[in-house]
Amino acid sequence: MAALSSRYALRSVGRNARRTLLSVAGIGVGCFLALFMESLNRGRDELFARVGAESGSGHVRVVPRGWRERRDPRLRLADWRADRAAASALPGAKAVAPRARAQVLLAMGTHVVPVELVGVDAAVEPRAFRFVRNVVKGRYLVPGEQGAVVVGKVVAERLESDVGDDILVSAVGKGGDIQSGMLRLVGVVSTGSEEIDASIAQVAMEEVERLTGLPGAGEVTVVLEDWRTADAARDLLARRVAAGDAVMTWGEINPEFRGHLQQDAAISRFVSGIILLIVFLGVASAQLAAVLERRREFAVLAALGMSTGRMVRLVLGEALALGLAGGALGLAACLPVLWRFSRAGLDFRRWMGSSYSFQGVIVEPILYGDLGAWVIPYAAAVALGATVVASLYPAWFAARTDPAVALRVAQ
Amino acid sequence: MNEIVVAARALEKAFAAGKLEVRALRGVDLEVRTGEFLALVGPSGSGKTTLLNLVGALDRPTGGELTVLGRRVGELSRRERAELRLRSIGFVFQAYNLVPVLTALENVEFVLELQGAGADRRNRARQVLDELGLGDLAHRRPSELSGGQQQRVAVARAVAARPKLVLADEPTANLDGENAEVLMHLMRDLRDRHGMTFVFSTHDPRVVAHAVRVVTLVDGRVARDEAKPEEAPHPIVPGIGKPPAPTGG
Repeated sequence: MAALSSRYALRSVGRNARRTLLSVAGIGVGCFLALFMESLNRGRDELFARVGAESGSGHVRVVPRGWRERRDPRLRLADWRADRAAASALPGAKAVAPRARAQVLLAMGTHVVPVELVGVDAAVEPRAFRFVRNVVKGRYLVPGEQGAVVVGKVVAERLESDVGDDILVSAVGKGGDIQSGMLRLVGVVSTGSEEIDASIAQVAMEEVERLTGLPGAGEVTVVLEDWRTADAARDLLARRVAAGDAVMTWGEINPEFRGHLQQDAAISRFVSGIILLIVFLGVASAQLAAVLERRREFAVLAALGMSTGRMVRLVLGEALALGLAGGALGLAACLPVLWRFSRAGLDFRRWMGSSYSFQGVIVEPILYGDLGAWVIPYAAAVALGATVVASLYPAWFAARTDPAVALRVAQ
Repeated sequence: MNEIVVAARALEKAFAAGKLEVRALRGVDLEVRTGEFLALVGPSGSGKTTLLNLVGALDRPTGGELTVLGRRVGELSRRERAELRLRSIGFVFQAYNLVPVLTALENVEFVLELQGAGADRRNRARQVLDELGLGDLAHRRPSELSGGQQQRVAVARAVAARPKLVLADEPTANLDGENAEVLMHLMRDLRDRHGMTFVFSTHDPRVVAHAVRVVTLVDGRVARDEAKPEEAPHPIVPGIGKPPAPTGG
């Protein structure tokens, strides 16, 4: 738009100060709410991706051929050491944990508990599954330690066992025969979730190899610095792992959990959409009122030869000015809130307890908002987008003013 | 002064008013040539404004033929009519209709900007205002000007792009006698110096006195078309002669 037309648009915005202030405030409130909701959405995505990864699934995982379809814990990687090396070389890899799993029965006295025994590398496992650090009795496994087991609090209670007790473990061997051994309970962990505490039983990976007769690891789990890079890491790692092995992201490993998150995100974005729609209608109404008020003026502009496109641009220019002001207001008001929200978070522990589990994932009910450079383009897109789109009809209405009719009516 | 600027043949315009049809023009024949200073007179409802709107390509006829500056108005699209108005026709309205948020200078400059005039448009706008004795008021907004001053700015806006045809719908209706006189002198002077064609509607006999040709409309038809002997122009523009002292409108 030429300089004078821009000045015209800007000054027109200031004609009705009260309406302009109300419009700017409306856009500002909408922008504030949209930013807050988006921060919440991003924070929730981050929270669930983090807790999902820290609950053991990792952000990406190298799995054996056929695991995706069968989810069979007896499957083993083609070359887990090569896979671990490739995963360790990934940019942004925070922890790389090989694991071997087996369905076993733990027994003590007359008590028997079925669990999935996980063979781990004790040196790295606590970094990949942080809840095993919550040892409430005894200690965690020592790297290289054989014949030792760490179990969840509920497992220990069901076995009525304590640290120092010997527990019988029985598993189906490679040839279908039953293999047994004795494990000494060295530690009890508590995650805060009964569901998870009823499923934890960890030993050195060699113990699982010995029990099942299946050599090597059944997975290599990778925790990344930034969960958003999971897809890129999967694609990169897929090219580097041993032939036959595959790479999956946390969402692919736990599709129910991801589906729930997507549903949750969709609901949040629907609410954001409703908020924006309300703002949108408010702006459209105010802009239409402004255009109707100036119908005679638009008729004169049309009489002077102003083209339809130019008149649309004039009204949209006014809308842009309103949107900019509203977006700046919303951003300025929201930034301190987002700052606080990203540091202190929204703490739901009072109502939900210190943690809860969902789909095998332990969730701490403290939701931190996300605050990043995204807020500026997001605020601009919301404020300008909503305002300009809301002004399209008023702009079209102005541009379609019939000068002869409008001037006749005005006279 | 031979070129035909406006040619109307059996021109008709009807409006729908509910279920009724109002025939505002009922076969107007009219020819206007370059440099004419023509007054359209007639009682209210006689069709003066309708005729001006058609000649100004603001509207399209419902019957007959109308050619303005060589273009058949009835056949022009909305966009083509807008382009014709922008390039070749200036308008002066009864109620001035200046853009309230622009200064006098910007109101004039705006038309030049619409035409795509280059960087010198501000100087050109200032020259026009100076020519009409409004140089000192260039930076005032319409609300800071009297009615007479506003109407002179409206004339400046209408003639800034040097259109071939200037249409004025009751331009003095809201002015007192003295300001009406000043305005008519200005328009006559512009016509004499730049060869523009002026067509204006009026009820005011003092304004009619300035016209060189008077066309009387009655019930949508031309009832009388009379040419008057042209008087010597009154020197009123600064630099040419002393204008009457501008007064509030």
